[in-house]
Amino acid sequence: MSETAIATRKESMPEKRADIATIAPVVDIHENNEEILLHADMPGVVRENLTVHIDNGTLDISGIREIKKHGAADWEEFGDVEYRRTFSVPQTIDIEKIDAELKNGVLELRLPKSEAAKPRMIEIRKAA
Amino acid sequence: MWTRVINRGPGSIDLFRSQLNRLFSDFDDSCAVLGGRAATAPYTNMYDSGDQFVLQAEVPGMSRDDLQIKIQGNYLELSGNRQAGAPEGYKAHRVERLNSTFTKSFTLSADVDVDKVVAELGDGILTLTLPKLEAAKPKQIEIK
Repeated sequence: MSETAIATRKESMPEKRADIATIAPVVDIHENNEEILLHADMPGVVRENLTVHIDNGTLDISGIREIKKHGAADWEEFGDVEYRRTFSVPQTIDIEKIDAELKNGVLELRLPKSEAAKPRMIEIRKAA
Repeated sequence: MWTRVINRGPGSIDLFRSQLNRLFSDFDDSCAVLGGRAATAPYTNMYDSGDQFVLQAEVPGMSRDDLQIKIQGNYLELSGNRQAGAPEGYKAHRVERLNSTFTKSFTLSADVDVDKVVAELGDGILTLTLPKLEAAKPKQIEIK
């Protein structure tokens, strides 16, 4: 992992709802020179129930899912749940430009790197 | 004493098997909490409201074109193909969302009116509304 990689951090989670289970969504994290790209599977979470919070280098994503029930259940393999996961974000991310989109139950977060943090080629001067 | 043990033979095997299944399902659940279930067929809920069945399936990231639904009588088959796909030109740090191709089949407890089935996809959940055939619907019997 490079220095700019997002690392998962285990810590107590604030504001946890007591009545539903909390599970960690599966995520993909990719990086190129421009940005860090995060995808999280959160099926059943609607935009209104999703929060992405960033504070002091900590990124906290939380989505609450409420499943509509239709009569007597023959079986239930999934139900109401809170998806929650916390990451630490490197200082090199431009927090102002973070972009979040929720599509088909997948959260896509784009974390652009600040100009100063982008890799650059250093030209070597000719010796005089 | 011995005959008793012998008589209980097959039953105890079933008991053992169910305990083993429970053991593995617990194991599976613990994996799910850690988030390691992306490669398997989606989780489903099945509801029966008397007149109709409702099936829900978790299909995050899948579009209409990625899913196929086949119904015949009381047989339902759901198949899909998910390509989480690494974006071009990116380096991967963490890959937990896996590509998967799955087929899951269900035998319903009553025949379904195929023409009236409604499939909706929203926010990563597929909801299938499966009205029962008229003959299979519950009927109120009046007492004379």
